[in-house]
Amino acid sequence: MFSDPLPILVMAPIAAGFACIAVPDGMKGLIKLFTGIVTAACLAGSIFVFREKPAFWFYGDTAVLLADNLSGFIAIAVSAFAFLITIYSFGSVERSFGRYFGYVLMTLGASMGVIFANNLLVMLVFWGFLAAMLYLLVNLENTKEAALAGRKALIIIGGTDAVMIFGIGLIWIMTDTFSMDMIRLPLDSILTYTAYFCIVIASFAKAGAMPFHSWLPDVAESASGSVAAYLPASLDKLLGIYLLARVSFDLFITTAASNLVLLAVGAITIVLAVMMALVQHNYRKLLGYHAVSQVGYMILGIGSGTVIGIAGGLFHMLNNAIYKSCLFLTSGAVEKKAGTMDLDKLGGLAKFMPFTFLACVIASLAISGIPPFNGFVSKWMIYQGIIESASSSRLWVVWLCAAMFGSALTIASFMKLLHAAFMGRKSDNIKEIREVGPSMYIPMLTLALICIIFGIFAFSIPLPLFILPAVSGVPAFIGTWGAVLATILILVGAAAGFILYRFFGRSGLRIVDNFVGGEAPEKLSRVSGTEFYDTINDISLIGRINRAESAGNFDLYNIGMKAVNFFTIPLQRLHNGVLPTYLIWCFLGMVGMFLFLFFR
Amino acid sequence: MKFPAYMFAFLVFPGFVFSAVAGLMAGWVDRKVTARLQWRVGPPWYQNFFDILKLLLYKETLIPRGVPKAVFLGMPALGLAAATLVSTIVLITSGMPKIGFIGDVIVVVYLMLIPPITLMLGGFASANSLASLGASREMKLMLSYELPFILALAVPIMKCGYVIRLGDIIAYQRLHGDIFASLSGGISFFVMLLCIQAKLGFVPFDMPEAETELMGGPYIEYSGKALAIFKLTKAVMTVAIPAFMIALYLGGIKLTLDGIVKAVIKYILILTAMIIIKNTNPRVRIDQAVKFFWGIVMVLAAVSLVLAFMGR
Repeated sequence: MFSDPLPILVMAPIAAGFACIAVPDGMKGLIKLFTGIVTAACLAGSIFVFREKPAFWFYGDTAVLLADNLSGFIAIAVSAFAFLITIYSFGSVERSFGRYFGYVLMTLGASMGVIFANNLLVMLVFWGFLAAMLYLLVNLENTKEAALAGRKALIIIGGTDAVMIFGIGLIWIMTDTFSMDMIRLPLDSILTYTAYFCIVIASFAKAGAMPFHSWLPDVAESASGSVAAYLPASLDKLLGIYLLARVSFDLFITTAASNLVLLAVGAITIVLAVMMALVQHNYRKLLGYHAVSQVGYMILGIGSGTVIGIAGGLFHMLNNAIYKSCLFLTSGAVEKKAGTMDLDKLGGLAKFMPFTFLACVIASLAISGIPPFNGFVSKWMIYQGIIESASSSRLWVVWLCAAMFGSALTIASFMKLLHAAFMGRKSDNIKEIREVGPSMYIPMLTLALICIIFGIFAFSIPLPLFILPAVSGVPAFIGTWGAVLATILILVGAAAGFILYRFFGRSGLRIVDNFVGGEAPEKLSRVSGTEFYDTINDISLIGRINRAESAGNFDLYNIGMKAVNFFTIPLQRLHNGVLPTYLIWCFLGMVGMFLFLFFR
Repeated sequence: MKFPAYMFAFLVFPGFVFSAVAGLMAGWVDRKVTARLQWRVGPPWYQNFFDILKLLLYKETLIPRGVPKAVFLGMPALGLAAATLVSTIVLITSGMPKIGFIGDVIVVVYLMLIPPITLMLGGFASANSLASLGASREMKLMLSYELPFILALAVPIMKCGYVIRLGDIIAYQRLHGDIFASLSGGISFFVMLLCIQAKLGFVPFDMPEAETELMGGPYIEYSGKALAIFKLTKAVMTVAIPAFMIALYLGGIKLTLDGIVKAVIKYILILTAMIIIKNTNPRVRIDQAVKFFWGIVMVLAAVSLVLAFMGR
């Protein structure tokens, strides 16, 4: 059976998904067990493929499916996320079990199809299938916002799919093949550039880079926490950046000019998206904008064109999927218990939900690039890549500044999130609430733990195992940053602090009331945290950008809609339902045809 | 180096004990110079040590009701550990440029962010409105100085031929003269001086603490040992950050007698410059600080970058 693991990995989850949909919702125990087993088997299968790679599956004499170093590790990541999020969903999903778990399984199968496809058309089919799954998963929420967000996502991703089809067509014209391992085009003509960027646009839309980002915050806001963690946060990132890496390294030979475009898109995405995140009032929408912003780092890394930058970009892709889905899972936990995602109404949850809080803090520090967590290592590699490329490009300072300043802005918005949701004074809306159940906090804590492990042992576990084999060439870091040592030293410091508190001095700890200038603290208004950056918003560029974003000026969907409306609304007006008007149009049309035939 | 040597470096020299003692002495210089400028006598040199010991040994540690205790008490300890790590890395690399690793400049820059973050999280955890406001100002201040700080940092990196090892930057300066001596280096040094004024929370950029309006901001609920640890963190950072500047712009520390004396003189000069700025300026509002850093300081930083591109 294992002689051909690749088609099984692709088709089995899809078949299992159809089976799940067919089972009635009443048998939820069966559905959960079944989904758990299938995702676990998928994880085991992809680890098997990873160890056996390179693996092929031939149809006729062409390799249709192929697993190499890059697709092997991404398959493991995808199935691991599917498994963890299935476990989480056991506790979080409350209705339409069959459809939810069915779509989750089919998404997994389709992602495997995209990853292992060696044929551009096969990849395209699964790519389109994924967009449909995203639409269906978002629509499970049954709200008007979810329907709108799902439609927006479908239109943007579907529209860019059409662009990709055009690009694939161009490739076929130039090479006469759809086999990805046979294609290696140098970017030397307008035709090749067009083909390259057509496919890159599709990968940008999937990953959520600007200007194709606008579906992502909407989906994040209106979908459930587990769906947001599954698709926009982890799988779409992995697949989008996988495609970008595939076309940039294998299908095409990139040039300095094409890299420049990637760098510019990356830098703009980082800074603009994080500025929008800064002023959000919704837990998940804030995370959604960060999901956009983080893509910028990966694109910067890949666009730097240096080995260490590319490795950093791929590593960041993996890291981002880990901490971002962890953050979305915490949002699901908070929503389940507090009943709202509105940051103005949350506050002081740390005391009641310690595990969720711990996971959120770790993931927040990781996404902000604070050592020794995983986000720092990959950002550090990307910065090195940018500086290494400095000798060829004078704009390196711009990219470096965008990346480093973006990470300061990221810290800022997560400080706000942590304060508004978990710290500060308890909001009056919050009653005594309890921590979520173990099926929800175990996946969150697992992801948080991976953030720590991948950060501290980056140079012994994830990099040599997954990332570096996928990159051609050996990156130029001879020394590595002593994350293990630094962590031990910081822990020693913290332990010394603990000893100091516990055993030192003559007086112990005493619990007292808050001191707010001698006034009764509960009489004074509560600081929620959402208003933290209003003072900056009022004075500067950030404010202008945010106003433009909230007006929809960066939203390709809105712009496209305006353009479509420009043509369709006058046509709509003609349909006024009055019979004589239609007759007049028919008559005019006949006259026109007559004239045309007459004068031809 | 072996692990015990690292532990010694971290805990004693040039790590915690050395940096804390030197930082408290620097705090005394600050208080003394300030006092002289204000026509007062000022405290004796051991005053800061007594203050810390009093907090550590005798004063009660109060915890506000209903706060997550682990966060409230843990954050100061983490902040001090990170600050000590910064000073250890910077001081060792300044003295022995061969030790150190590729990309340590970036590691140091990011480790320097941890103490303010722990201060913010500690302030947030104390469930006090004034602490929250102060911490949010700290964050905005960080945003404002971070951008010119990175731009200023790019100048030494560029002038030394795109290296991101602190040791390489120092080695380059030993061969070709200090970065500070060039025009672009001088301007970016000045930019960084303003940034670290804000990083250390000195007047005119002390709005996060703002005793007269926020009563200490994030520090408001801290007392006893926790407050002592925060004060020690500040002392260590007072050593580490100027030392980082000396490494970047003034050639680090040569491990000879006159080299060390010169480094100490350089440190005291930087410190004095900061104290003079501190004593001749009133505290500005947070939006004024943001405008200042994103406006004129950015322009200065950009000018120094352009000059560096032109090789000046």
